[in-house]
Amino acid sequence: MHDSESDIFSQTSTREEFCNSLEKIGVDAEVAQIGTDEIEEGDYYSKHFTHSPAMVTNHGCIRVKGYNIDVVQIIQKG
Amino acid sequence: MSKDPNPLPWGAQDRFQAHFIVKTGSQRVNSEFLAKTKLKTEGHFAAKKVANVEWIGGNITLMLNADSELANMISKLPYNDAKIWVEPTRNGIRIHGGWKSSYEFRVSKELFGVYDRIASHVKRALGSPPV
Repeated sequence: MHDSESDIFSQTSTREEFCNSLEKIGVDAEVAQIGTDEIEEGDYYSKHFTHSPAMVTNHGCIRVKGYNIDVVQIIQKG
Repeated sequence: MSKDPNPLPWGAQDRFQAHFIVKTGSQRVNSEFLAKTKLKTEGHFAAKKVANVEWIGGNITLMLNADSELANMISKLPYNDAKIWVEPTRNGIRIHGGWKSSYEFRVSKELFGVYDRIASHVKRALGSPPV
């Protein structure tokens, strides 16, 4: 038993964690609800490169403001 | 029946990727937006560094190869972060790196700067003004 461990923890999703890492470097980013962005529909790879995975899991999007990048999508292999 | 000595992994793996996307709206894009970095390196193992960057792929590589500041920014990245792909898909053009485990899954200020600079070239090629 480690007394230094907190009894309370906040459960965060992968995209929330990644959004926090963007905010830490000064990027204005906002987590979007999963399945709400048009970018989540259709293929996530062009299939022109040999490394394209056959199966992936969508973890949703992060909207970015004030940059050339419009949105960041988080993808997990398998 | 003998047991498979090398079973294939299945299900979600601890490998993540972040795709930095420039939306294209209704604009149709094709393989002219395909690009990947071809790296020349120095040193080995942990000391491996990027010495020179060349973009290979579609027409967009002409713009990317002409940007010496972008090449300079990429050469300062860790070797694994310097492997970058640009892929056109139905709703947007995706800029991404390789797979990362959950422990190393984050983005540095320098890497985000490189992705945003690539995105500015993509926007220019799409005919919209970069930010």
